[in-house]
Parts: sequence; C-alpha cells; structure tokens
Amino acid sequence: MRHPTDGTLRRLVDEPAGVADTDREHVADCPVCLSELVTAQREAAAAAAALDVEVAVDVEAGWRRLSRSLAADDAPGVGAPTRRRWRSLLRSPAIAAVGVVALLTGAGAAAAADWLQIFRPERVAPITVTRDDLLALPELTAYGRVDREGNTDVRDVADAAAAERATGIAVPRVGELPRGVTGEPTYQVRDRVTTFFTFSAAEAAAAAAEAGGTLPPPPPGLDGSRFRLTNGPRVAAVWSSTGGVPALVVARTAAPTVDSSGTPFETARDYVLTLPGLPADLAEQLRSVSADGTTLPLRVLSERMTSSSADVNGTPATVLTSRDATMAAVVWLDGGLVTAVAGSLSADEVLAVARGLR
Amino acid sequence: MAVSTPPGPDAVRDDLEQVFRTAYPRVVAVAARVLGSRDEAEDVAQEVFLAFGRSAVPAGEAVGWLCVAAAHTALNHLRSGRRRASREEAAGASRPVSPDVADTVVTLDERRRVRAALARLPRRQAVALVLRHSGLSYAEVAAALDLSPGSVGTTVRRAESALREELNRHASSD
Repeated sequence: MRHPTDGTLRRLVDEPAGVADTDREHVADCPVCLSELVTAQREAAAAAAALDVEVAVDVEAGWRRLSRSLAADDAPGVGAPTRRRWRSLLRSPAIAAVGVVALLTGAGAAAAADWLQIFRPERVAPITVTRDDLLALPELTAYGRVDREGNTDVRDVADAAAAERATGIAVPRVGELPRGVTGEPTYQVRDRVTTFFTFSAAEAAAAAAEAGGTLPPPPPGLDGSRFRLTNGPRVAAVWSSTGGVPALVVARTAAPTVDSSGTPFETARDYVLTLPGLPADLAEQLRSVSADGTTLPLRVLSERMTSSSADVNGTPATVLTSRDATMAAVVWLDGGLVTAVAGSLSADEVLAVARGLR
Repeated sequence: MAVSTPPGPDAVRDDLEQVFRTAYPRVVAVAARVLGSRDEAEDVAQEVFLAFGRSAVPAGEAVGWLCVAAAHTALNHLRSGRRRASREEAAGASRPVSPDVADTVVTLDERRRVRAALARLPRRQAVALVLRHSGLSYAEVAAALDLSPGSVGTTVRRAESALREELNRHASSD
C-alpha cells in the first residue's frame, strides 16, 4: 500500500478522527511512516510552543471601543504605534529594569583578560512578577545594541554519552522514575550562547523621547559599556507523554555569568533600579537578590506559579508549582551548574527525583 | 481570501454586536499568535471588526472570515516593521517545564525571531499555521482558505517545517 501523504500524517497528530482507518492502520505498522509521524509531532509541538500566547480579553471594553470608532467613523491606522502603547511602555521601565537585571544576571563565562566578571551566581532565589509586567517589557534593543553568538537550536543526540561529549556536562541519571513515567528519555543538547549588550545613552534617550518621557541620566561610564553574557551549554533528558507536555525533564546547564567591559555590576544595577515606574516591591526584590552578584533570580509568574524552599541533599533549592497543580519543578545551583527537574508531577515527586539523581 | 472587503453600504450590519461578542476573543487570539502582543492584537481585531461591520460577509462565514482577516492583517503589521516585539512569550517561557530557567535574555530574543520567521513564510502557509494553532479545525481552515481538508494538513506541515528551518537559519545570523 502507498504511504499516506505528509498532510495525512500531520492530521494524524492532532485530528486523528479525520484520517481514514486504512491510513491509520498502515501507519501503525509502517516504520517509515511512524518515523515521519514522530518528526511531524515534534515539529508541530515546536510550532505550538513558538506560537503559544494566552491573552485575557475584555470583550466589554472592546465593544465600547468599536462602538466609539463606528460612531466617529475613525478607523485605526494600520501598524502605527499608538501613543497609548508608547505610554504604557514608558510607565513600566520597571519592566525594562527587570529585563536589564535579568540580562545582568542572565548569562556568561569570563575568559578574556579585558573582561571583568561581574556576576557569578552561587544560588538561586525566586522573584515574583506579574503577567502585566512581563507583557509590557520593552525591547532591550531600545537601550542599545544586542548581538549574539552561538546556535540556540536544541538538538537531539543519541544517548547520554553523546550529550556529554557535545557539551562537557554529564547528564544526571535518574535513580527511580516517578509512577506513570516510563520508557527511555530522549537526550537534547544546546550549545553555549553568548550575548553582547552595548548600552547606548542616545538610543535609550531617543526611545524615551519618542514616548514623550525622560530617562534619568545614566551614571558616568555606562554609555557605551559592553556586557557579555554566556549561557549554557545545556543538556536535558526528556521523558515524553502523550499529551505533548513532557512527563519529566531533567536538565543541567552551566550557570550563567556576566562580564563587563568596565562598568561594575552595582553601578548598572543601581541605575536600572532607579528608573521611574519600577514597582517598589519588585525593585526591592531585585535589589535584595542581586545584592552581591551571586544570586540568580528565578522569575516566578505570580498568576501561574507559587514558589517554596526545599533542599536537595543539603543544597538549598527552589520549588515551583503551577497554580493548577499540573506541573512542578525544582531548581538548584551547585558547583557552577544549574540543575532543574520538572514535569507533569507533584512537588514531592520532582523532589524525590532530584534527591535520587546520581 | 483577501483581507480587504468590497465597499459595503454605509450602514453597520445588524448582527455586528452579536458576532463581536461571540468572536472577539478568538479574533484577538489569532492576531496575538502572530504579533505576540495583546495591545497590538486588539488593535488588529478592532480594525478587522470595523471592516466586517460594513461588509456583506454571510453570517455563517463570519468567524472564518474574521480569523483569516485577523491573520492577514497581523502579518501585514509584522511586515510593516514598525512594531515592537512582544513580551507575551516571555510570560509563556516561565512555565515550570522549561529547563531554561536562567535564560531570560536569549528567550526574549528567540521570541522576536519567531515573529521574524513568520513574516518570511509564504503567506498561505503562515495563515494556515496560525489558524490551525488557534484552534480552527481542519474543516474550518479548509473552508476559510478555500482548500481541501487534505491540503490543510500538507500546508500546515510545510509551514511547521519552514518555521523550524527559518528559526534555525537565522538563529545566529541576525
């Protein structure tokens, strides 16, 4: 029998009832089609993740706005940024601060002599942010130039040994799988990624001026300062489930560090934390966790997750639990490596896996 | 299907409010998948409903028409190059299953690349991809794009492969 088309295989991924029985039966027994189906599933899941967006819509407000437009016969222009949007961005440089602090605390490994290592985390700590804060986060590129080196593609490798050869990081082995998680994992690796950020006072001021506001003057020396953030490499063992969400993920990455071309960590941090509009509690959280440049802030979206403390064989760890109780994760930093165990599991289950890693 | 509508009568159609209340969240969601931003997605939805309000699109085809129009208009916004990348995906990146707990900056940059990659896909593929991932069934996508249901699978499959290739190709070049 002829192999079903790639379109039929794709439909089998998410609307199998629409596929003829003969095609389904063929695929079930055909190694070629099964292999194609796995590829289609993987690419469909990747596209779904890339396009995933949840937006809360106020239908009443939308209808009032449309009614006003109809009354005024005033259709909005296509693509023109609205003043409202610029203003909302400006009101939340808070959020820029979150971004820049995340940048400062987000990645990097010192190597060249002309770089000053300003951040090397030794522990993780949760900070709570709201979805509205994240939604309003402006581009880093509004504050300067962002360049990146390295391949961000996550790729599968054959086994744990191949993952270690590719990254230099040994994949932690799971002692005992939680109930309901079965089979062999797939191994994924990602190379080290280096991001360079060059702060530009002129660009930051222009962004503010375009929005009708004023940024505070940057401290001497910050204009033109370069920051180098290196993230990874990373390895992960992934046990899949039929629902598309991984049943269990055990991931380990080199702890991110940040190097500066001269600006001390405290100078840059203090500047972003004084930008107008930063909610006081968020500024305080960031100030406290970034006090000495050794704590990696772990962003906790307050609408979705709660965090708590635990320990993994003596190392302090942060446990994240989704509010709908469908997922949990535990994250800790030890010996320059960040390890995360996560999945469609309870907090107790991820902790048991974490404590049993070899 | 074209986004622009034939010039309709000046009068606003009677069923506009009812259709709006039913379909507005879905239309915003389609635009948000392209733009990643609630504000911009709502701007697009408003624009699309204004056009719909003065059109003669049959009521039975309204939702499909609105979704296709939202996808096209949002893709036009992407290509206009005047938008800012969104933070929607940043929120999505915080889910506990992500092993990338320390990866904020790179994640934000990747989300921007998704939008850029979408803008480079052939238009029909991009629209089919967005509609399917917005929850329209194969039959609904087929009707909206005037395709056979079998071709929808092929078009979506090609779009997903192309999206992955675009993301890989531009991962380290821009």
